[in-house]
Amino acid sequence: MITITHFLVVGAWLFSIGLYAVLARRNAILVLVGIELMINAAILNLVAFGRYDSSLYGGQAFALFAIVLAAAAVAVALAIILNVYKHHKTVNPEDISDLKD
Amino acid sequence: MVELLPDISKKLDHILAGLPGILPEMVLAAAFIASIFSGLLVDRWWKHGTFALTLTGIGVAAWCSAWPLAPPYGGNLLFGMVMPDGLGQSVRLLTALVCALFAVAVNANPDFTVHRKRTADLYSVLLALHIGLNLMAMATNWLMLFVAIEMVSVGSYVLVGYLAKTRQHTEAAMKYVLFGAACSAVMLYGLSFLYGFTGQLDYTAAAYHDGLNAMPPALVTVALLLVFAGIGFKLSFVPFHFWTPDVYQGAPTPVTAFLSTAPKIAGMAMLGRILHASPVDSAALENLHLILIVAAAATMLLGNLAALRQTNVKRMMAYSSIGHTGFLMMAVLAYASGEYTVLLFYLAVYALMNMGVFMLADYIEGRTGADDVDGYRGLGKVLPLPFVCFVILLVSLTGLPPTAGFIAKLLVFSAAFSNWQLHGDPGMMALLIIGALTTVISLFYYFKVPLNAFLRKSSRTPGLRPLPAVTVWVVALLSAAVLLLGVFPGWLMTAP
Repeated sequence: MITITHFLVVGAWLFSIGLYAVLARRNAILVLVGIELMINAAILNLVAFGRYDSSLYGGQAFALFAIVLAAAAVAVALAIILNVYKHHKTVNPEDISDLKD
Repeated sequence: MVELLPDISKKLDHILAGLPGILPEMVLAAAFIASIFSGLLVDRWWKHGTFALTLTGIGVAAWCSAWPLAPPYGGNLLFGMVMPDGLGQSVRLLTALVCALFAVAVNANPDFTVHRKRTADLYSVLLALHIGLNLMAMATNWLMLFVAIEMVSVGSYVLVGYLAKTRQHTEAAMKYVLFGAACSAVMLYGLSFLYGFTGQLDYTAAAYHDGLNAMPPALVTVALLLVFAGIGFKLSFVPFHFWTPDVYQGAPTPVTAFLSTAPKIAGMAMLGRILHASPVDSAALENLHLILIVAAAATMLLGNLAALRQTNVKRMMAYSSIGHTGFLMMAVLAYASGEYTVLLFYLAVYALMNMGVFMLADYIEGRTGADDVDGYRGLGKVLPLPFVCFVILLVSLTGLPPTAGFIAKLLVFSAAFSNWQLHGDPGMMALLIIGALTTVISLFYYFKVPLNAFLRKSSRTPGLRPLPAVTVWVVALLSAAVLLLGVFPGWLMTAP
C-alpha cells in the first residue's frame, strides 16, 4: 500500500538532491537541473496532497501552472547562459566573478 | 458531466461579473499583443511607434484603475483570486508611474536605441511585467501570487539580459536568473506544504487559518520560511539580498532603476496583504512576525553599512535600496492593521526618488562616462541642473527636511512608535532605534556625491557626449514633486 508518506519522502529526497546540485555550483546548466528537481519535488507534493482535495483540485491545477512556469523560466535561463558563454567562454559560476565587492 | 452543466453557467456568470475588476490588466494585455505587432510592422515607418503605444497602454490602464467604471469591489473576485481594493488601486497607479518612467529612460538611452535587437520587444516585456506587478499587489491566493511573482521574475531576467553587450551584463543576468529560479523553487516547495496542511490556496479564507492552527507550529513555521525565501528574493531583504549589488551594478542603468523600484512596491503591498490576512493569535505566525522584525533590522543595518565603502554609484545605490527595503518592512510591520496610508506614502516617495536617482546616474554616465563617485569630481559646474536634482533626491533619500523623504520617514517612525505604545512589542522599539541610527549612517555615503561634484575640483575637463535632455527634464519634475510633497504632504495623503 503506497500512502501519502511515500510521496512526501520521495519529494523530500528530490528536493534535497536538487538543493545540493544548486549549492555545489559546478556548472550553470547543472544548477538549472537542480532547480528543476526542486520544482518537481514541489509538484509531486502538490499532486499528492491534491488527492485529498477532490472538490476543487487546487493542487492539480497548481501543478500544471508550476510546470508551465518552470519551463518558461528555464527557456529564459538557457538563453542567458548562452550569452554568458559567448562573453566568458565558460559557464562555471565560480569562474565568473567580475562583479564583486 | 451532465450534473456539472448548470454549475458551468453559474461559474461563467461569476467570471463575467469579476472581469470589470481587472479592467486595467485587460487593457495592458491588449496593449501587450498590439505592441508585438507594432514592433514588427509600425516601427519600420515610425521609430517611436511601440514606445508611444506602450505609454498609451500604461496611461489608459492607469486611468482605468484610478477611475473605476464600476464601483470598487470589497470582496475577492474570480473565485477568490484577486482583490482590487483601495491598496491594489494605489499600487497599480504607482507601478504604472514607474513603468512609464522606465519606458522614457529606455527611449533616451543610446545603449538601447542603437542596439541591433531594437527596443520594441523590451516594451512588450515591460507591459507583461506591468500585468504581473498589478496581480502581485492584488493576489489573495497562493496560486495567483506564484504566477504573478514568476511573471515579474521571468520578465526581469529578460530585461537584465536584454543588451548582453558586455561581460558584466551577462554575468548580472546569469546571477539573477539562477538565484531567482532557485528561490522560486524553494517557495513552491513551501507552498506545497501550506496547501497540504490546509487544503486551501486562498490565504484570506478562514479554513486556511484553521488548518494552519491545527498543525504543529514548528512545521508551519518551516513551511512559511520556505515561502518567504521567494518573497524575500523579490524584496531583497537579508539573507536573500546576495544578488542585489551584483545585479544592480551589472544591469543596464534604466533596468536597475526599474528593478529597484517596481517589484519592491508590488512586493511590499503583497507582504502587507499576507500579514494583514494572518490572525495574530497563532504561534507560527508570531514566529514569522519575529523573524521578519529581525530580518528588517538586519536589512537596514547591512544595507547602510555596506553602502559606506562603495565607490561605484550604482552599487552604492543598490545597497541604499536594500536599506530602504528594511525601512519599508518596518512600515509594513508597524501597520499590519489594514491601514496603508503611511506605507503608500513612503512607497510613492520612494518610487519618485529612486527612479530619479538612477535615471540621473544613467544620464551622467551617458554624458561623461563617469560611473563612480571619484569620476563625479567637479561635474557640478559642468552639469548644474542634473546635479542640483541629484542633491535634492539624495537629501530626500536620507530623510532630511524640506523633502518628502523626511515626511515619509517621520510618518513611519510615528507609526512604529504608536504600535510600540499599543502592544509594547520590544522588537518594534529596536526597529525604531536601528531605523534612526541607519538614517544617520546613510548621510555619510549619500554626501559623497555632492562633495565630489561641487566641492572638489577635477584636474581634467570632461568631454561631454551629446544626449537627449528629456531624462533631465523628467527628473527635474520628479525632484520638484519630491520638494512639493515635502511641503504639502496632504496632496498625496488624502488621495484614495
